[in-house]
Amino acid sequence: MRQRSLIAITAALAAGALTLTACGSRDEGNGSSDAGSGTTVVIGVDAPLTGDLSAMGLGIKNSADLAAKTANKEKYVDGITFKIEALDDQAQPSSGQQNAVTFVANKDVLGAVGPLNSSVAESMQKVFDDAKLVQVSPANTGPTLTQGAKWETEKVRPYKSYFRTATTDAIQGPFAAQYLYNDAKKKKVFVIDDKKTYGAGLAGTFTKEFEKLGGEVVGTEHIDPETKDFSAVATKVKSSGADVVYYGGEYPQAGPLTKQIKAAGANIPVAGGDGINNPAYMDLGGSASTGDFSTSVGAPVEELPSAKDFVANYEAAGYKEPYAAYGGYSYDSTWAIIEAVKKVVEDNDGKLPDDARAQITAAMQNVSFDGVTGKVSFDEYGDTTNKQLTVYKVEGGEWKAVKSGTYTG
Amino acid sequence: MSGVGPVEPGEGTRAWDTPEASAPEASSVPPPPPGPLAGLYARHRRTVLASTAAVVVLAGGGYLYATRPEPPTPPAQPYPSQVVEVVYLGPGSLSAGAPSGSFGFEMELVVESGPPVTVERMTQPYAGLALTSDPRPPFRTESGHPRKIVITMSVTECGKVPENAGLPFLDVTLRNVRAIQVHSFILGERYARDLSDALQVACSNDSASSPKT
Amino acid sequence: MNELPQQLVNGLLLGSMYGLVAIGYTMVYGIVQLINFAHGEIFMLGGFGAITVYLYVLPDGTSLWMALPLMLVGGIIVAVLAAVGAERLAYRPLRTAPRLAPLITAIGLSLALQQAVWAWYPDAKESINFPQIDGGPFEIGNVTIQTGDIFLLIAAPISMAILAYFVMKTRTGRGMQATAQDPDTAKLMGINTDRIIVIAFALGAAFAAVGAVAYGLKYGQVQFRMGFILGLKAFTAAVLGGIGNIYGAMLGGVALGLAEALSTAYIADIPGMDQFGSQSWANVWAFVLLILVLLVRPQGLLGERVADRA
Repeated sequence: MRQRSLIAITAALAAGALTLTACGSRDEGNGSSDAGSGTTVVIGVDAPLTGDLSAMGLGIKNSADLAAKTANKEKYVDGITFKIEALDDQAQPSSGQQNAVTFVANKDVLGAVGPLNSSVAESMQKVFDDAKLVQVSPANTGPTLTQGAKWETEKVRPYKSYFRTATTDAIQGPFAAQYLYNDAKKKKVFVIDDKKTYGAGLAGTFTKEFEKLGGEVVGTEHIDPETKDFSAVATKVKSSGADVVYYGGEYPQAGPLTKQIKAAGANIPVAGGDGINNPAYMDLGGSASTGDFSTSVGAPVEELPSAKDFVANYEAAGYKEPYAAYGGYSYDSTWAIIEAVKKVVEDNDGKLPDDARAQITAAMQNVSFDGVTGKVSFDEYGDTTNKQLTVYKVEGGEWKAVKSGTYTG
Repeated sequence: MSGVGPVEPGEGTRAWDTPEASAPEASSVPPPPPGPLAGLYARHRRTVLASTAAVVVLAGGGYLYATRPEPPTPPAQPYPSQVVEVVYLGPGSLSAGAPSGSFGFEMELVVESGPPVTVERMTQPYAGLALTSDPRPPFRTESGHPRKIVITMSVTECGKVPENAGLPFLDVTLRNVRAIQVHSFILGERYARDLSDALQVACSNDSASSPKT
Repeated sequence: MNELPQQLVNGLLLGSMYGLVAIGYTMVYGIVQLINFAHGEIFMLGGFGAITVYLYVLPDGTSLWMALPLMLVGGIIVAVLAAVGAERLAYRPLRTAPRLAPLITAIGLSLALQQAVWAWYPDAKESINFPQIDGGPFEIGNVTIQTGDIFLLIAAPISMAILAYFVMKTRTGRGMQATAQDPDTAKLMGINTDRIIVIAFALGAAFAAVGAVAYGLKYGQVQFRMGFILGLKAFTAAVLGGIGNIYGAMLGGVALGLAEALSTAYIADIPGMDQFGSQSWANVWAFVLLILVLLVRPQGLLGERVADRA
C-alpha cells in the first residue's frame, strides 16, 4: 500500500504546486542615477518584469527611470536626487503585496509607481495606505480601485493614497461597445474573459453597454489563463453564430485565442481592451489578428507633441525594451510623484519634512502639470481628469488608431 | 500611447555625438605644390580672380539666404481633438419648426488653445435618431470664445434607439490648420440620463406604427 | 451546427499530447516507482531543443518540411540528455533513500530546469514563436483540423506503435518488463537494471520531445513555463489510465482531453449548471472524472498489480 499513499502525497503536492505558481524570484532594481549631493529620494516601481506580461512591465520600469533621470538632469527639485527601485511582481497579487511591504520598509521610498494589473493593485493598496505612501498606477483600469466596490451606484474612494493616470474600464468597456455596435455594425457578440479583476471587470462593463444598445450576447465563456488550448472555446464561438468576440484579458492569452478562433473557421474579429494593445499580440496571433480591435487609454501618440519628445528621449536613452502601451503614463505617474515631492520640499524650506510620506500623499491631490499624455491632474477619487480613449485596429501587423473619444462627464 | 512600433535602442548614437568627419581631413590636406599651378595662376589671373569673387558672392549670398531670419516655423499646431472640449449643459429648448418626437440639448464647445477650429459635422451614432444643430455646421470657434450649441434630435424609428445607453456620445468632425479628424465626445452620465429620459418620452408618445422594443 | 464531432476532435488532439507526455511518467514509475516531477520540464526542454535547431542551427528560410525532422531529432537529443543526466546525477544516488527524497529532488529539479531556461536561454523570458506549417485547415465534414495538428495526429499513434513493439518484442523491452515486475530477480537473471532504468528515462524523454514539437506546431510558441501545467495534466492522465501501464497513459490522456473539451462545451447547457461550464472549470471536471474513476478502480483504467507490489 505504500505506492498508493505515495500517489496521494504526490497529488497533494501537485495541488499545492498549482496554487504556489505565485511565488518566485525577484529582480533587483537597477539604480538609475548617480547619487548627487543632498538627499536621495527613492521611487519604487512595481511591475511584471518577467513572464508573459514583461513586455508591458519593462516599458513601465524604463519610462519611470527616464522620468527620474530627466528630473535629476534638470535639477528639477533642488537638493533632491531621484532614484528608481524596481521590483518584479510577475503579475501576481501575492508578489505585489510583498513588494509593497518592501517599499514601505525602506524609509527612502517616498512614492511608488505601478502596478500593471488591477488584481495586483488590490493587494497593494492597503499596505501603502497604512503607511501613507503614495501610489500612482499608470495602467490599472478597474473602477473599484478608486471608486469602491459599488461604483455603479455609490462612489466611495477606498484609499486616499492611491492615484492613477489611466482611464477606467467604466468608460473603456462601454466605449468599445459603442464602437462595435454603432461603427463596426456588430450585433451579436461572444464574450470571453479570464476571470481576473481586470478582464472580468472590462467584459462586464462592455456586456452591459452592448446589451443596452440592443446588441445580443450569444455566448459567454471564461478561460483558464494558464493553458494555451482554447480549441473547445473556439469551436463554441464558431457554432454560436457571433459576428464579433469581445475578450476581457491580456495579450498572452488573447493572441493564441484569436488564432484558434480564426483557425476553427469563425472568421470574425476579436476585440479587447488595453490589455491586448501590444505588438506582442500580433506576434502571438499571427496573420489571424488582422482586423481585430482594441481600445486603449489615451490619444494616439502622434497627436500629442509632448509624446513625441518622450519617444525621442526614450530612444536616446537607449533602453533595450520598447516603452509599450503604458510608457507615457508611467512617465507621467513618476513625474506626478516628482511634482509632489517638489511641492512638499519647497513648502518646507528646501528640506524633506519628517512626515514626508503623508505630506506627499496630500500634495498629490493638487498636482497639475502638462505631461506626456496631456494634462495630468486627479479628481476626488484619485482618477485622472484626462479621460481619452482610442480604438485601434490591426492593419498590416500594427495597431492603427481608427477613432478617439474624450470623456467629459 | 500605443499604436507605435517597438522603439529600437539608440545604441549611443546620438546625432550630436558624431564627430565632424570632414574637419580633420580638411586641415590635413597638404598645401598645393608651387610650380605648374603657380604658372597657371599667373597666366589666368583675371579669370581666376573674377570667378573667385563670383563664388564668394554666391556663397555669401547663399549663406545669408540660408540663415535668413526665417518666419518662425509654425510650432507644430495641436491636433483639433486635443484642444477642443465639449461640455454638456443641459436639456434645451426646441428650435422652431422641429418635428414632433424631437428634443433638444445644449452643449458648450471650447477651444482651449491654438488656432481656430471648425466643426464640419456633428452626428450621433444611433440608427433611428436624426440630429440637427444650431449653429449649423460648418462653423468656426476661436480659442477663448466658447460657443453654445443647441442640438435637436428627432426619433425616426423607435425600434432602433437605445433607450438606456450608458455612455452615449456625439461624433464631431473637427478641422484646424493641422488636421481634420472625427472625435467622439462622451458627455457623461447626466447626458446619458437626459437622453434616455427624452427617448422614453418620445417613444411612449408614439403611435403603434413604430412599436417600441 | 452540431459541434460534437469538432469537440471530440479537439479533445482527442489535446489528449494525444497529454498521452505522449504521460508515457514518460508511467514508464519511470513502472520501473523505479518514482514520480518524476521534472518530466514536465524535460518536455519543455524538448521544445527548446527543437526551436534551437530551427533558429540557430539551420540556415534561415529552411523549408519546414526539411526542418521538422531535424528539429524533432534536436528536441529528442536535448530531452534525452537532460533526462539521462537527471537520472545519473539526481536520482541514482538516491535510489536506496526513502521514497520521498527522490520525489522532492524531482520537484527541485523541475524548478531548477525552469529557472535555468528562463535565465540563460536567449529571449526565453517571453514566449518564443515556433515555426508554423503553411496551408489552410482541412475540413472533413464539419470538422476542421489544423495543419499544425496533422503532426500530432500522425506522431501520436506511430509513437505508441513503436513503443508497444519495443516493449513487447525486443530483448531490452522484455528486460524492462522483467525489471518492472521484480528488479531484484531481474538482476539475478542477468539483466543490467541500471541500463534498463536509463533506457526508461530516455524513452520517456523522447516521447515528451515529440509531444513538445507537437505543442509548438499546435500553439505556435514555446515558453519556459509550458511544461509545468502540462506536466501536471500528463501526470493526472497517467494516474487516470493506471500508472505503470503504457497503454493506460495514452488512454488516460485521451480521456482527460475529451473530458476537458466536452465539459467546456456542454456542462453550461445543463440547466442550473451555467456557472460551472466555462473553460476555467474544465480542470475541475477533469479531476472530478479522475476521482470517480479512482473510486471505482483505484488502480486506474488499465492499471494492474498495484497491490502485489506493496
